[in-house]
Amino acid sequence: MSATTSNETAAPDLSAIARPPQVLNNRGPLWVTDAVCSIVEGKTPLWWYAAISVSGAFAAIGGACILYMIVTGVGVWGSNSPCFWAWDITNFIFWVSMAHAGSLISALLFLTRQKWSISISRAAEAMTVFAIVCAGVYPAIHIGRVWFVWFLFPVPNSYGMWPNFSSPLLWDVFAVTSYLTVSSLFWFAGMIPDLAVLRDRATTKIRKFAYGLVSLGWLGTARQWRHYEMMYVLLAGLTSVLVVTVTSIVASDCATSVVPGWHATIFPFYFMVGAVYSGSATILTLLIPLRAIYPQLKELITPSHLDKVCKLLLMMGSCVAYVYVFELFNAWYSANPFERGAFWERFTSSYSWYAITCLSINLTIPQLFWFKAVRRCLPLVVVLAILCNVGMWFERFMIVTTTLTRDFLPSSWGNFHATIVDILTATGTVGIFFTLFLLFIRFVPIINMSELKAALPGSQPHGDSAHSTGEGH
Amino acid sequence: MEIQRTQPGRDTKMSHHLPICGSKEEPLHAIGARFDTPDQLVAAVNRLRAEGYSAYECYTPYPVHGLAEAMRLPKSLLSFLVLGGGLTAILIALSMELVPSILIYPLIVDGKPLNLSALPQYVPIVVALTLMIGAIAAVKGMIILGGMPRLNNPMFAWDLFAKDASRGFFLAIEADDKKFTTAGVTELLHQLGAGDVTAIHLEEESK
Repeated sequence: MSATTSNETAAPDLSAIARPPQVLNNRGPLWVTDAVCSIVEGKTPLWWYAAISVSGAFAAIGGACILYMIVTGVGVWGSNSPCFWAWDITNFIFWVSMAHAGSLISALLFLTRQKWSISISRAAEAMTVFAIVCAGVYPAIHIGRVWFVWFLFPVPNSYGMWPNFSSPLLWDVFAVTSYLTVSSLFWFAGMIPDLAVLRDRATTKIRKFAYGLVSLGWLGTARQWRHYEMMYVLLAGLTSVLVVTVTSIVASDCATSVVPGWHATIFPFYFMVGAVYSGSATILTLLIPLRAIYPQLKELITPSHLDKVCKLLLMMGSCVAYVYVFELFNAWYSANPFERGAFWERFTSSYSWYAITCLSINLTIPQLFWFKAVRRCLPLVVVLAILCNVGMWFERFMIVTTTLTRDFLPSSWGNFHATIVDILTATGTVGIFFTLFLLFIRFVPIINMSELKAALPGSQPHGDSAHSTGEGH
Repeated sequence: MEIQRTQPGRDTKMSHHLPICGSKEEPLHAIGARFDTPDQLVAAVNRLRAEGYSAYECYTPYPVHGLAEAMRLPKSLLSFLVLGGGLTAILIALSMELVPSILIYPLIVDGKPLNLSALPQYVPIVVALTLMIGAIAAVKGMIILGGMPRLNNPMFAWDLFAKDASRGFFLAIEADDKKFTTAGVTELLHQLGAGDVTAIHLEEESK
């Protein structure tokens, strides 16, 4: 490019190929700091109290339901023979999958130097951590006798018992534990420099102390940055691998069984693309209203950034559509009557409306994002993104519950009926998610300021201008 | 050139023309300065290195490319720590799985073998634990190698720095430096176009 343009006499017009700006209106680093910190430092707005009361109430009701379930027994749920996994595992998979898009956006896009992801990565990571917390509610309680949960871990005990290491359910324990640990660490470690900024700007003693404690004495010395940057690359690498591992292991819970409809090698891929699809939808659902509430974010999370998330959603949605078609093909091509039967039952049993809702949403809604007009109409994007997540919940239900109610023997078929405890526990996890997210908005800088400032034009020494224009490494 | 050690009494006399922060009675910790641009800071570091200074530190609101190279900082050891953590995790995970499965409590389900021929079934837990312990090593290593956690720092005596370090690119030449003289350092910093050159004394320890 430079070779051809340098011969021309007139200054080349590079605006057509220039990347969209990271921050609109040519804002500088000081503006970024003020804009992001002001969200945390300002007076707590009234809507925040209202919102957290509602989400907190849902979370509390969910907690009460869990307590009721523990003291009474799993019979308060609708799970029963032949469907021993129902809403518990549906919701577990729904939440743990949603988490994956956050790690993918922050880690994988960091490794591939996609600088547009900087302004949404912190919120995406927060979504990841909170969604894993919601997912983590279920595995422990769904075993029924919660006080035996330690059986899941290889703890030397007086019974001389050990867990079954060849079971994907045990792999799951380790996968979800390490996913929660690693994504929390990634989120927290990336936040240390920004927490130090809040510490420096703090005006009250309590804030100074609290932010001082969590920022661990960060000063931003050249040595600290040297180690920090190395750590960030390493963590991003580890997290990227972990995302793929965790979904694959969760998918193995189903795929390694012989249940028709589950026993398929495409399952890890199926879960992975569905995961990123629903996670991207959640990011859009969370960030677009946030931009409306805090107008300064409109210059940081630009329409171009949201446009790219929409495209990610479109790509993953198309992969999901491919898997649906492949499942149909697989059922036919396997020539296995049970496999074909399971597929047929999805659309003809009393659960057909779940399958039809799932397919009609997931096959059509993401395809609307081919149109720029749709991607740029943000209120519409929010509605469509929420619909995508509804579709994904139905998909998880279709995979887990419908499959179990129709297995090999028609005599053992049965239906699942959700109880009020099932429903309130599920809405409780939604409450937990939003409560945590609201706390996140209020107390933590929601945009990675240091990374964003380092990527602003002119922020790097001139001898190193390739970095400052975001033209890559 | 003679090495001049900084004595508290002598220093306050010599640095009378500089703004002072911290406690005058306590020894001088460093002379700090603020630059407006990362270019100035990198240029200053290059000059300091040429002049033979070694005990100085740069404070920036974000990672400045080329600064660590200008300071001749070595590559971070962190990758080795993470490798060590990961290898340890592999050993822990394998022994945690194989010892109970093969030796203590062979649990045969569906007639599946448990010995080494069934190694693939042990892989997922090994991967999960390796990634987890590798990540813990990365974060812990960053904290420890970065000299954290630390509750206080002499630099916090300098209000301009402590109140909002994100407003500039700071340089502090420490009094421990063999070449340190208050006058020489002040002169050098002014030559480099630094602003807010300040003598940072230690703070009185609260008794």
